[in-house]
Amino acid sequence: MSIQILSDVEFGMDLPEFQPDTTLDATSKFANIVGYSGGGRFEDHEQARAQGLPGALMPGIMSMGYLSRVIHEWAPTGTIKHIDTVFRAPVLADQNHAIAAVVTDIDEDTGEVIIDLSIKNEKDETRVFGTATVTIPK
Amino acid sequence: MLDIDELRSKFLDLEFDRTGFVIEAEKSAAAAKAYGETRPEFTDPTDPNFQACLPILASLASGRQLPIDFPSLGGISMDGGKAVTSIEPVPFGVQLTGRTHLHDIYAKSGRSGRMVFLVSRIQLYDDAGTHLASTDSRQVIREKPE
Repeated sequence: MSIQILSDVEFGMDLPEFQPDTTLDATSKFANIVGYSGGGRFEDHEQARAQGLPGALMPGIMSMGYLSRVIHEWAPTGTIKHIDTVFRAPVLADQNHAIAAVVTDIDEDTGEVIIDLSIKNEKDETRVFGTATVTIPK
Repeated sequence: MLDIDELRSKFLDLEFDRTGFVIEAEKSAAAAKAYGETRPEFTDPTDPNFQACLPILASLASGRQLPIDFPSLGGISMDGGKAVTSIEPVPFGVQLTGRTHLHDIYAKSGRSGRMVFLVSRIQLYDDAGTHLASTDSRQVIREKPE
């Protein structure tokens, strides 16, 4: 369901689950655009392992991008006023992850909706979590 | 082991860096497309409502990570997270100023020792002094056992 106005939002509603593209192609392309490339940690599993990492990673701010994309697709008229993402553990490239989001608060006066966010791997381990404050027209 | 309350009283809320930024429209649009953003206001520089995507704001880095006289905590430093608060649309191609301060310092202790969290906040201003956005970088340091 696409959210257009605040009354469309219900407390506790789940946003559609989403699988981010974590392929090396995607992580290395994004890293290159934002200036994070060159060290190998987002572009090459072997180079990342040589640095003591479990494998190549998805950049943390790319996680933020995917989380914002999920919100934007759910509420095309909404505006993200604040987003806070906690990098609890690495999101490994080339591994399947799922994004979940749930509405945890609605302020009818301000039009603000609070959304809890998470990115989990296939073992159901939370890698990234956070919250967003989104304003939606009344 | 450093006293967190002492660090807080000495370093919180004091500007320790001022850095100039110019945000490129094409770079922001390319970043948004790379994570599959579909809204034209983030992907199309010709859209009348075009604005910087959140990860581009989160990618801004101050000249210094910590105040010059901040004591070494030892241990391993990790990127613990990012936050962005949007206040006004951030313009492209113009000089912006980021003023950085330590917004929070706190610690969590567990079986493996103490972890110290340092939250640096960049407040982004335009030439007129309008506060446009704030970005937080959360640095986590696992202290070496004494």
